Amino acid sequence: MRLTGGSTDKGAAASSQRSRHASNASRREWRTGLLFIGPWIIGFVVFSALPMIASLVLSLTNFDPREPDEIKFICLANYARMLDDPILRESIWVTLRFALMVVPLTLAAALGVALLINSTLLAGRNLFRTLFYVPMQIPIVASTVVWIGVLHADNGWLNKALEAAGIPGPNWLQSPTWVGPALVIMGLWGIGNMMLIFLAGLQGVPTELYDAAKVDGAGRWASFRHVTLPMISPVLFYNLIIALIATFQYFTQAYVISNGRGDPDRATLFFNLQLYREAFGFFHMGYASALAWLLFVIVLGLTIVLFKTAGSWVYEGGDR
Amino acid sequence: MTSPSTAPWRLVALASTIALALAACASSSPSPSGSSAASESAAPSAEVVEIEWYVGLGTGENEEQIPAEEAVVAAFNAANPNIHLTLTVVDNTEAADTLATRIAAGDSPDIIGPIGIRGLQSFGDQLLDIGPLIASSGVDLSEIDQSLIDVYNVNGKQIGIPMAVYSSFIYYNKSLFDEADLAYPPHEVGEQYEGQDWTWETVREVAMQLTVDASGNDATDAAFDPENIVQFGLDAQWTENDGRAWSTIFGGSGSVLAADGTTAQWPDNWRTGLKFMYDGIWVDHFIPNATAVQGLADGNTFQSGRVAMDVVHQWYTCCVYPGEGDPAVSDWDIAVLPVGPDGNITSKLHADTIGIMDSTEHPEAAFEALTFLAQSPELIQTWGAMPATESQRADFFAGLAERFAPLEIDWNVSTLMLGYPDNPSHEAFMPNFAEADSANKDLGSRLWNTPGLDFDAELDAHVELLQGIFDEAT
Repeated sequence: MRLTGGSTDKGAAASSQRSRHASNASRREWRTGLLFIGPWIIGFVVFSALPMIASLVLSLTNFDPREPDEIKFICLANYARMLDDPILRESIWVTLRFALMVVPLTLAAALGVALLINSTLLAGRNLFRTLFYVPMQIPIVASTVVWIGVLHADNGWLNKALEAAGIPGPNWLQSPTWVGPALVIMGLWGIGNMMLIFLAGLQGVPTELYDAAKVDGAGRWASFRHVTLPMISPVLFYNLIIALIATFQYFTQAYVISNGRGDPDRATLFFNLQLYREAFGFFHMGYASALAWLLFVIVLGLTIVLFKTAGSWVYEGGDR
Repeated sequence: MTSPSTAPWRLVALASTIALALAACASSSPSPSGSSAASESAAPSAEVVEIEWYVGLGTGENEEQIPAEEAVVAAFNAANPNIHLTLTVVDNTEAADTLATRIAAGDSPDIIGPIGIRGLQSFGDQLLDIGPLIASSGVDLSEIDQSLIDVYNVNGKQIGIPMAVYSSFIYYNKSLFDEADLAYPPHEVGEQYEGQDWTWETVREVAMQLTVDASGNDATDAAFDPENIVQFGLDAQWTENDGRAWSTIFGGSGSVLAADGTTAQWPDNWRTGLKFMYDGIWVDHFIPNATAVQGLADGNTFQSGRVAMDVVHQWYTCCVYPGEGDPAVSDWDIAVLPVGPDGNITSKLHADTIGIMDSTEHPEAAFEALTFLAQSPELIQTWGAMPATESQRADFFAGLAERFAPLEIDWNVSTLMLGYPDNPSHEAFMPNFAEADSANKDLGSRLWNTPGLDFDAELDAHVELLQGIFDEAT
């Protein structure tokens, strides 16, 4: 008994000690975790969460940084103003029109390049993969300045090439009609990231599925349509979401080619550029904050819609 | 119990985190891009008043200009032991945003500038009325034309003293006139051109003869091909598509704001002037459109040598280099502006000044510094500006004569045109200024890029848009 009891006592003590150790270890782990994640949490709170809350509050005011003493609470007036702002409507239309052009085209181009690079028939695949990714390493402003030269109406390489083929090149950057396609062309140059993600997706498709399809008599197109596309649909879905968000946040290229004004004739006045103009050009910080929340709601709404439709076309582990 | 092997790592992790946090804090402290050595001079004594001069809203932020500004600041500090002037230079692209942020944070500088009329409008409400200080200090402004002083009188507030002025006039390419066997445009006000009054209509006729297509036909020929123009008769380069600027050049003085201070308008003489320009681009083809401008020395059209006449300001001497480039302008002079549809000559005026923020705690000391800066010819010189003070102009023009020798430019034209400034200014106050200004540039962009517009309908729609923008301000 004593032995047993002693054993039990010892066992309980050992268990209690183990538990304390485990608890101490857990606390230590928790503290260490906090220590490491602390900078991120502080950064998130200071640079993201607080500014978001501040912008929500500011969106209910007429805040002008030049006249901080005259700030007034104006309730939902900034949101009501959006309904009656013709330039905001134009900027939304410019952004939507661009999204309709650039999202499908960049997705198709990135997938096409990924398929080419994934092909076993291609020699020097690593070299091509690097070459297609390299543009991503060039700062956007620098690449845009280069593209301004390439797209120059008289001296640009693109129009020189078109001219050599007997086609009169348009005035890419000064024409309200052509500046959109010009930006799409610029966008195609930056498909490297998307291409890499597609490539990873393609390399994850089991080869036995292609073998089975081949046995069933499927050609290349049928294999692509019924094996490749369904298998990479999660990657396609991811790229679609990212592309859509990037399109609604489109700013730098439009700012550089139009000197921040949306020229020519407001054809490059993207939503984000208009938001920037309101905030830092016109100092309508309250209205700009409301626009930022509108952008958030639009992007969130589109993302939710896409997620709702995902069930019908995105394959997750064999299930639609 | 802490394992002996993990303790050092935790210390390292803790130290790294603290170092990262400190580094982040340190890097987040804003520092002006060009803080001057002058601002780092010996610490002032307790009674010394600190005055900060904020540069970057206009010219003055280029690297080569800063030493001259620092020297003037040092000279002021040496001469005024009770005031310590510091210089803050901010990159032009971020100067307005930075200033607005500093105002919001209650950290305004005392003096801002040099800044043009348009730039001042954005901060006009935040500037001190220096009228009483001018009166009490007895500063001598007799050498500055009253019309130039009035440019800085906004809503009854004198917000600056003109330091530098830039009249506009016609730069003309003598070689192209010689080639077309045409007489040069007049250098004197009231002088006729080949027996005709010097009006915009006369300019149109001359400009069409100077507009040439690839086959050598001028714009008055029936065979003229407007799709292949190689030389233009007239331009008004670097107006930033501004509808108000173009209307003033070709239509005379005017305002988008009616006398009641709230109603938007586009005066008749401005409609006529802007229509002249629009037809000059798209009907008569003697003015280059936005596309053509890109092919003319990337917008520096007169420098391309393929524009015969160009309405630009005095400051354009910055950027015309005889003989440089291919093709290039090699022999040029300047001529007076013609009479506009309102019956007057109007020389669109640009001007630079320095203003005092009304939040300054030391207005007298700031005014002392402002007066010193405004009377420092070294600053005007480094900014490449024409002095508003008459007695300083001879040196300015002597410098230009030396620079452009052997060309003999008739700089008297520039002085003459100072007598015909646009009043009200084409950069004058509008309610909700920045947004209204942007809308006017959008209008200019549309006219510059789009043929076949219903001109009057466009202007009517624009006035309606402006009214909405003005209404937002009330």
